[in-house]
Amino acid sequence: MSIEIKDELNLIPVKTYRWLNVNHLKIDEVFDKEIKPYTKKFVDEQSNGNMFLGRINNVVSLEQYLEDFKGQIEYGVSKKLVHMAENLNNAGIFASLKRGKTIAEPIRVEYVLDEKEDVLIDNNIIIAEENSKATFVIDYSTEGNVSVFHNGALKVFAKAGADVTVIKIQRMNDNSYHFDSNVAFVEKGARVSFIQAEIGCKKLVTNYISNLKEESESYIDSVYLGDKDRELDLSYYMNHVGRRSISNMEIKGALKDRAKKLFKGTIDFKQGSSRAIGREEEAVIIFNKDVKADAVPLLLCTEDDVTGEHAASAGKVDADKLFYMMSRGFSKEEAIKLIVEASFNPVIDKIPMEDIREIIRKEIHNRLVTEGNR
Amino acid sequence: MAERRKTYVEDLDRSIYDIKNEFKYSYKTKKGLTPEIVKDISWNKNEPKWMTEFRLKSLEIYNKLDVPAWGPNLDDLDIENIVTYVRPNTDMKYSWDEVPEDIKSTFERLGIPEAERKSLAGVGAQYDSEVVYHNLKDDMAKKGVIYTDMETAIREYPDIIKKYFMTVVPPHDHKFVALHGAVWSGGSFVYVPKGVSVEIPLQSYFRSNAPGAGQFEHTLIIVDEGAFLHFIEGCSAPKYSVNNLHAGCVELIVKEGARLRYSTIESWSKNMYNLNTKRAIVEKDGTIEWISGSFGSKVSMLYPMSVLKGEGAKAEFTGITFAGEGQYLDTGAKVVHAAPYTTSTINTKSISKDGGVAVYRGSLTIAPNAHHSKATVSCESLMLDNKSRSDTIPVIDIRNDEVDIGHEAKIGRISEEAIFYLMSRGISEEEARAMIVRGFVEPIAKELPLEYAVEMNNLIKLELEGTIG
Repeated sequence: MSIEIKDELNLIPVKTYRWLNVNHLKIDEVFDKEIKPYTKKFVDEQSNGNMFLGRINNVVSLEQYLEDFKGQIEYGVSKKLVHMAENLNNAGIFASLKRGKTIAEPIRVEYVLDEKEDVLIDNNIIIAEENSKATFVIDYSTEGNVSVFHNGALKVFAKAGADVTVIKIQRMNDNSYHFDSNVAFVEKGARVSFIQAEIGCKKLVTNYISNLKEESESYIDSVYLGDKDRELDLSYYMNHVGRRSISNMEIKGALKDRAKKLFKGTIDFKQGSSRAIGREEEAVIIFNKDVKADAVPLLLCTEDDVTGEHAASAGKVDADKLFYMMSRGFSKEEAIKLIVEASFNPVIDKIPMEDIREIIRKEIHNRLVTEGNR
Repeated sequence: MAERRKTYVEDLDRSIYDIKNEFKYSYKTKKGLTPEIVKDISWNKNEPKWMTEFRLKSLEIYNKLDVPAWGPNLDDLDIENIVTYVRPNTDMKYSWDEVPEDIKSTFERLGIPEAERKSLAGVGAQYDSEVVYHNLKDDMAKKGVIYTDMETAIREYPDIIKKYFMTVVPPHDHKFVALHGAVWSGGSFVYVPKGVSVEIPLQSYFRSNAPGAGQFEHTLIIVDEGAFLHFIEGCSAPKYSVNNLHAGCVELIVKEGARLRYSTIESWSKNMYNLNTKRAIVEKDGTIEWISGSFGSKVSMLYPMSVLKGEGAKAEFTGITFAGEGQYLDTGAKVVHAAPYTTSTINTKSISKDGGVAVYRGSLTIAPNAHHSKATVSCESLMLDNKSRSDTIPVIDIRNDEVDIGHEAKIGRISEEAIFYLMSRGISEEEARAMIVRGFVEPIAKELPLEYAVEMNNLIKLELEGTIG
């Protein structure tokens, strides 16, 4: 049996001109792979006074946890892919943070794909009870160069006053596919911070929606790197429902070779979200003339008493800057890497673990310097 | 909670636009759209064969295309109930004295003959489907400037019209421009010869009086090398209970080193579907400047497009949209950078109130060969209450690395801090709020010709009252 995806992905929240081809991403691909059990260990299971953390297929019934949110969960790259992740998964975590508890150490989830285990369908659920706090790091990587397939879903329920940080790193090889659906429900006074690094893959489609209730906060800090023939389709959506909710999106990108990127960032102020503040900024550095860089920064508003701002910019690396650095003894590749790093650092520095920061920097180094010198 | 005061902006004063004349005509087509009706229009206008065929071909394209899957809902617009051609009860005149009294007084109320005497180099006035008055000052005509209605242009300049007609905006572009190609009538043709600068503006005014009718005027302007023109387009209609349709088409050709300024103040009535298409092709070192004010209509879909075809070409777009009760104004600008060293600037403001919907929709395309292009987009929206809606839907499409692109958008209400500051300087709260709204539209207002700036200020009459915020 193979995995067939014939679908329209990452639908834009409000459609626009058809000739620009940004309303959705059409995909029609057959992956000659099947969904087998994923046998590697990917998380340290634990159950104690602070939290329950386990593999999702070991959790008897999810129904009771999802009761409150029934009917309002619509999210993700596409309905079909979310359905696959929720129902045909071979991995995923279930985490339930107990009321008022802070988990000091970041919780690490590591999915590694290789020739033998080349399909990962993960369904992840994080429930943070009132005033709990934790950081999760979910890392997708590959060993070897074989093409792998990943389709995943993540739901974060941050109850009143909870504080959840999710760091997602995708550094799979250039032959791989990555479909990633994420949703957060941020209750009164809660805070969800989503940090994403999209560094690898042949084709990646990411979708994140955050639903902000009263006085909640939601942040997206994201970096992406497009090199070779990578195709990136990123969609972020801040849905302001509650009063005085705050959101901020900061996206930094770098594109070279023949990479293609479409970024859709939406701030939606629903009626009733008075005094909400939403900001969005995307900046992309372009290294070659063969790249394609598209951006659709949407601002939707049905509430008057709000502050919304978005900004997008794109430009080439300053030739003078590059020349200066090269005159100081850096190779062109190193100089480019330094410029990308300087742009990415404000986001990368938000990751609280040194080793993860190092992994991302190394990955960028490999792609911009090591491979560039080859 | 303390009562928070909001700025109340009064509806546009439409009284002068809303005066209806008795519906008189010398000829009109049946409702709906068939090849017979299209042939009928062409026959009535005594057109050359190529134009009849062009119309029929456009009709075929119209039947094949579907309505846009995006933007405002057009379900209430029933082409089968629209009369596409209404010939007014007069021929075209070169003197206002010869124009029938009721039509003349309509344009007088709109201030057209007066403006012509004072500040315009030429005027065209269209009433329903045909132009009823056209005149150009002698000194301009002596310099070789052509300014006439399209019907005359087809007769007198067949080669130019055949060469350019609907090449900038081809009929297969979208459904409503195909409709335009099939049933168009009226509009103006302007040609400014090489190096001629038309110092004072030309103005065409389109008035739709017939209920349940469509207006499909076609404007073609060619500004030859090194020439300059400022063209003003005005449009209005009285309000009827049936839906009217306006699907005009504007084609602008700006040759090497030329400059064209195209200003529009659109105050259609709130039963009008305004599905207008405007496009400029700008050659080497040429400049197109759009000034666009959208105040009227029930539904507007209007996105003037600038195609920067020659090296060093420039486009500037300045727009303001004011959406009140029952209005869905989906407006914006499109720019295609199709040559190196091209520059574009888009600057828009919108205000929405009383349930009105104001949408900025735009696109910015940098073609692979358009290296060293620069583009700046800035959109600001002001929401005056929470019954209204304001969306910003821009698309940026970049296919070259040697570019400098900036886009920013802002939305919000009148800042309490700004009010507080002004009040601390001794200005009353009412005056402070009014100052802020006036300040918000000022950058646009100052781009308008003086009489239009005054008109816009009259349109946006500010009145302040306390309501619970």
